[in-house]
Amino acid sequence: MKEYLRRLFEYRELLYNLTRKEVKVKYKNSFLGFVWSLVTPLMMLVVFYVAFGVIFKLRAMNMRYYAFFLMAGILPWNYLSIALMQGVGSVVMNGDLVKKVYFPREVLPLSYLGSASFHFLLQEVMLIVFLLVFRVPLSPWILALPLLMLLQMTFIAGLSLLLSALNVFFRDVQHFTEILLTAWFWMTPVVYPVSYIRENLPAWAVRLYMLNPMAHVVMLWQRIIYNSPVNGPSAYGLSAEGILGTVAVSVAVLVLGYYAFCRLEGRFAEFI
Amino acid sequence: MGAREIGTRATSEVPAIRVEGVSKSFRLYHDVNYTLKERIINWRKRGYDLFWALKGIDLTVYKGETLGIIGPNGSGKSTLLRMMTRIMKPNEGRIYTNGTIAALLELGAGFHPDLTGRENIYLNASILGFKRRDLEGLIDGIIEFSELGPFIDNQVKNYSSGMYVRLGFSIAINLNPDILLIDEVLAVGDESFQTKCLNRIARMQQEGKTIVLVTHEANIAAAICDRVLWLDKGVERMLGDPREVTERYHEAMRMRPEGSEFGTRDIVIDKVEVMNRHGKEAVEFETGEPMTLRIHYHAARPVEDPVFGFGFYDQMGFMVYGTNTRLRGMNIPKVQGRGMMEFSIASLYMLDGRYYVSVAAHTRDGLVNYHWLDKLFYFDVRSPGMEEGYLAMECDIDLKEE
Repeated sequence: MKEYLRRLFEYRELLYNLTRKEVKVKYKNSFLGFVWSLVTPLMMLVVFYVAFGVIFKLRAMNMRYYAFFLMAGILPWNYLSIALMQGVGSVVMNGDLVKKVYFPREVLPLSYLGSASFHFLLQEVMLIVFLLVFRVPLSPWILALPLLMLLQMTFIAGLSLLLSALNVFFRDVQHFTEILLTAWFWMTPVVYPVSYIRENLPAWAVRLYMLNPMAHVVMLWQRIIYNSPVNGPSAYGLSAEGILGTVAVSVAVLVLGYYAFCRLEGRFAEFI
Repeated sequence: MGAREIGTRATSEVPAIRVEGVSKSFRLYHDVNYTLKERIINWRKRGYDLFWALKGIDLTVYKGETLGIIGPNGSGKSTLLRMMTRIMKPNEGRIYTNGTIAALLELGAGFHPDLTGRENIYLNASILGFKRRDLEGLIDGIIEFSELGPFIDNQVKNYSSGMYVRLGFSIAINLNPDILLIDEVLAVGDESFQTKCLNRIARMQQEGKTIVLVTHEANIAAAICDRVLWLDKGVERMLGDPREVTERYHEAMRMRPEGSEFGTRDIVIDKVEVMNRHGKEAVEFETGEPMTLRIHYHAARPVEDPVFGFGFYDQMGFMVYGTNTRLRGMNIPKVQGRGMMEFSIASLYMLDGRYYVSVAAHTRDGLVNYHWLDKLFYFDVRSPGMEEGYLAMECDIDLKEE
């Protein structure tokens, strides 16, 4: 394991270059370029705002700024879903490279995570600008953004490593991930506040619901960006054990994912 | 060419690459179970055969040495090279390397079409494991060597294949690695660029770099290598002086026609005998001599209505003669177990030349081949020299004076 980490460190520049390439290439031939990375979440915002805010009246649940509440959850969710979808297919997609050149293969999924992180950061900055413009009362916890991002990155990195390695041997993993993400989205308090679950589900179901690490991650985002205790108390459902548990799970997922990746990596070139 | 004459080098005793008892096997899947469902359905079935691409290779490449690896297709050359770059791991044995490595397995692998040539230089160099800092002083040299000029700032997708290859070669060769591994890439590019590459390799040799070169062209190997390794079916056939090894290799290749085999192997052709009038296996015949062709086969499970056939081909690959059991109106209802099919030819009509023999077993409609041995055998025909052309014909000559 130590050996692998040292090797990865030696190739850090490749990781950086591949990430840069991803960022550059993504919008290279499109007219609007970077604007797209902002347009996509905005479109999602409009759809969910109309569906849940206007039609289902979720706005009424003590939400002063439902649009910003939505944004606070949609951005980290998109971050997970984009990084994971690209990461899962990364090794297979770069099969040509894997078969022809030696380099630590983990830079492939990690570089997609890197580029997704870059776009996410950009989006968060834009969101904060909007919050300031609309004079939404902010919380000092907003300064914990880098820490929270690191936590989410840890979680995504682990999943991405694990799934991308498995995907080489079973191509179903890619399709499975897609379905998983859709179901997972609705089991995470992105469009509705967590109190909606608490009030409408039996206790055992709530406990089950809270086992989802992404639920805690999204609530943390709502806490620090949207300032949920003030602007939407119904979105506030954090607990110390929930946060600690999420940190522990994320680290465990990363260790497991990295270990599995390194174990399987030797056979990639033959199998692709 | 002629790089070898540029300067004599003394190779050191320090190993740059040590290959110790390396074997590598591949699983040849009958039908790759890519999806989970197929995996579960075929859980118990071992769906693959083991194929040993390399068996027990021991080899030391010394610092400053240029080693050539030659061998026919499928002899394990590229597999050995890939294991030296660590792309694949051997099943048995170990490989030690000492120094930075750049491999030219495929030129431009990892180029991104949407990036410019210059951006790709940085990306490709880091894929090869070199840092930006190493690259700073080299970038101009790389661009110059590639002869791309102003095109270096164009997107790579607009490059011609020649430009692509030149850039790829230029990057790998200018990175100045301690060990350079090259796989059959010298054949690309126009002649002047090839000469340039060979000159560059000669310079690297003088600088004491270690080079391992896999090539089809034994002439190149003989010209620039210090030693040549000849691989055949995954084992070392010969290792030593380039001229000697390549000469022997050429000889062996002349003996063995370029053949292949394929098929579902429901019927397996185990052995083919080409026999002369005395019932002995032979490769030399005279025009007009009889020949007997025996095909020994076995079928593990019963196969219904198969067709057996053979064909003779000349050196250009044209079929001279061929027939099979279906064309001869012969029905074979079913075969199972071992058997032998005998074709008796009363007289060979062809004139001088070498002829290759293909034999096959397939379905009646010819859509599925059970086993096809394509030009794996040959025989030579000599004629008494009374005719010209391809065929012997009965021809009487009379002079009738009036």
